[in-house]
Amino acid sequence: MTKRGLRGDLTRWLVSLPPTVFLLVFFLAPTLIMVTASFQNPGEFGGLAPLFAEGQARLTLETYRFFFGDWIYAEIFLRSFLVAGATTLICLIFAYPLALTIAASPKRHRDLLVLLVILPFASNFLIRVYAWIILLGPAGLLYTPIAVIAGMVYVHLPFMILPLYTNLEKHDPTLLEAAQDLGAGAWTRFWRVTWPLSLPGIWSGTALVFIPVLGMFAIPELLGGTGDILIGNLIKEQFLESRDWPLGSTLSLLLTLAVLALAALSAWAASPRRQRS
Amino acid sequence: MKHRTPWLWGAALAVYAFLYLPLAVVVIFSFNDSQLNAQWVGFTTRWYAKLFADGEMLHAAANSLAIALTAASVATVLGTMAGIAMQRWPTGVLRALPGLVLTPVAMPEILLGVSLLLFFREVLDLTLGLVSILVAHITFSIGFVAIIVRARLAGMDESIFEAARDLGASPWQTFRCVTLPLIAPGILAGFLMSFTLSIDDFVITFFVAGVGVTTLPLQIYSMIKVAVSPEVNAVSTLLMALTLTLIFIASRLAPDALKVKP
Amino acid sequence: MKALLLAALLLAAPARGEDVLYLYNWNNYISDDTVQRFETSCKCRLKQDYYSDNEEMLAKLEAGAAGYDLIVPTGNAVESLIRRQALRPLDKTLLPHLPNIKREYLDPWYDPGNRYSVPYATTVTLLGFNVTRLAELGLPTDSWALIFEPEYLAKLKGRVTVLNSQRELMAAAMRYLGHSVHTRDPAQWDEAKRLILRAKPYWATFSNSTYIKDLAIGTIWVAHGYSSDMYRAQQDARQAKRPFAIGFTTPKEGAVLAVDNFVLHKSGRRPDLAHRFIDFMLDGANAADISNLIGAGNPNAAATPYIAPEIAGNPAIFPSPAQMQRLEMLRDLDPATRRSLSRMWTEIKVR
Repeated sequence: MTKRGLRGDLTRWLVSLPPTVFLLVFFLAPTLIMVTASFQNPGEFGGLAPLFAEGQARLTLETYRFFFGDWIYAEIFLRSFLVAGATTLICLIFAYPLALTIAASPKRHRDLLVLLVILPFASNFLIRVYAWIILLGPAGLLYTPIAVIAGMVYVHLPFMILPLYTNLEKHDPTLLEAAQDLGAGAWTRFWRVTWPLSLPGIWSGTALVFIPVLGMFAIPELLGGTGDILIGNLIKEQFLESRDWPLGSTLSLLLTLAVLALAALSAWAASPRRQRS
Repeated sequence: MKHRTPWLWGAALAVYAFLYLPLAVVVIFSFNDSQLNAQWVGFTTRWYAKLFADGEMLHAAANSLAIALTAASVATVLGTMAGIAMQRWPTGVLRALPGLVLTPVAMPEILLGVSLLLFFREVLDLTLGLVSILVAHITFSIGFVAIIVRARLAGMDESIFEAARDLGASPWQTFRCVTLPLIAPGILAGFLMSFTLSIDDFVITFFVAGVGVTTLPLQIYSMIKVAVSPEVNAVSTLLMALTLTLIFIASRLAPDALKVKP
Repeated sequence: MKALLLAALLLAAPARGEDVLYLYNWNNYISDDTVQRFETSCKCRLKQDYYSDNEEMLAKLEAGAAGYDLIVPTGNAVESLIRRQALRPLDKTLLPHLPNIKREYLDPWYDPGNRYSVPYATTVTLLGFNVTRLAELGLPTDSWALIFEPEYLAKLKGRVTVLNSQRELMAAAMRYLGHSVHTRDPAQWDEAKRLILRAKPYWATFSNSTYIKDLAIGTIWVAHGYSSDMYRAQQDARQAKRPFAIGFTTPKEGAVLAVDNFVLHKSGRRPDLAHRFIDFMLDGANAADISNLIGAGNPNAAATPYIAPEIAGNPAIFPSPAQMQRLEMLRDLDPATRRSLSRMWTEIKVR
């Protein structure tokens, strides 16, 4: 190996090792701990029972048996997916006209219009939820599923608007002109040209909204009523109320798997290769 | 595109209203002369006076600021390294690096919070506090910095670096004199991004916070949960004013950093 | 940049040499007045974090929150913390005012001989309500039936909150059904679950603290909660000149009595300050604050002369001996029971 090659190797490791080690220790290791925790027994006062006792590993499938023992927990997963789905859909309905308008406005105005979308989100997340407590209280809508969805949409809307706008802005206007020349009406032009071209933007927006909603606990807690419990609330409850860490870990692990599957799905759906075929 | 339709503009305006109306209500009630955010009674600034006399709130704000500055600095260094590594050496073992760097960004925050809590408690036996919060904030910020820095590097011509090498520059010199100045705006944007993420974070901090290190979002959360006091509105209004000012300054200093790059 | 960082760190760290006492307390459980007087007297700072449920506090401690000097757990949580060996024994030579505590509150079942705990305040988990509204609707206010019977709830749909606490809500249901809150009988648990599920569609939400403001604003008309919180709601509504009044009573079927105590956590670094604080709070005039300003019951005999008559005479704050017979204190649960209760709780929330 040449001297330069050696030095190049050294540089490469010097640069890549610190962040890699940091993330291996503080991201990957904790995730793996979560996996083992889901097979451990709960500790008497909380936390986990020791992994090794009397020279033997104490692992159990009890928590999984408990989870799959009845439909309650699966039902909460299902419900969370429904709420996430509804939120994503409403975000899309709200975001599309706005993104379209910004993309269609003169170039010099676009940055300002985008900035106006981002600005409200420079305020703290809790303040945005708090605003809805004040707004919905007198209307008698606080503590209802509507309040939860309103809060979810409000908090996640820009994550739909921005990727959508980024996509729409790139569209070639001549395509629409060509369609018009061929006699396509406004609706046909949208449905046959703009919409299919915007699908990658929609898919990335969907991932950016759907996934965080799945893990949300503060919004159902502050705005929701008696039945508004999502996976996030359930996980939080196991760690910070019921002191059942194995169950909390199992729930977290299943949520992680669901999220990874969704992310892979949306990446596949948004990939240019698929769009072409 | 010249096919603008009035209803499209109407819809867009309605969405803008949806974005701003709730926050306007928060601001208006911060000047309301009533303990309850229920109806308008009269104008007052007493909630602001109360806020500035509230030691716990000010202390929480100072905590948040210190944590955000420290976490953002460390995350910027590590994230820049990760961004460079991802762009320059996408081969060998390092092929797995993007996965490691980007997954924390994509995960729901609660998962990061819970797994770090488990790790601190069961493996490190760490007392929750400043350190645990810092580690958590750095962990979720690295990915954001890396994405921005990598995007900046990706737009560059590889031949500049080759030229520097051919002229006999060491890797360090190449980095100091060529790479760094070129990616500086990306690094700055990454720093600002992680600073904002850290100061705004509630969910992860909620799990890993310990004794005596309450951050501003945690303080706001406990206030919202207990009793609605216009003091919360006042602190919200001030925070919004602060962010607006920061954004204004940033747009003057680095106009590019705010643009959404397609 | 570096200078900025340094400045921020300096800001965040408490000034060097400053004495800080860390107190993990219930929200709304000590008045700002009292805190200020203590800080002046000890030349130190009192820093508080808050919880709204014992389970929440125990869970946070188990999760690794160490460094609280003082905690204010309810009896059952004291018992659990003692078994956990998480508490520091009291040094009674530092507590000259300890004899101020009424004899019936000394030597409790959860801490024989008061080795670890000093009673601070008592609350009853009861019903708070909008007096004006309920009079208009002609509803009784002295029974748990108000939050469990569809016959009454039909007029209150969406206007009722119950505690977001597995233990407290189950206990209320048990008392209404005529059972003890300690029952482990699965049939009785099931009966309570069915009672709760039948009433749930009428409730607005589960809430541990927001009911204070919801009652005061007038959006919620009946709340299941702690007597001291109801007192706060009553005061808030009065101060804001709301066109109605808030009242609270202990249901005739009986309820949960909470005796909350000061205990020293082992991880605390300032047992000296903690003892000073406890003794300060044992002084009659200071102890009276928890009743006068917060509206909690008082285990301190020396406080009695300082307590305002309308508070001392309120049976929802100071239960009569006859009422005491129907009040029960909660006990701690083992992990298996905790898990099955949590499972039931999840089912209650989902159905």
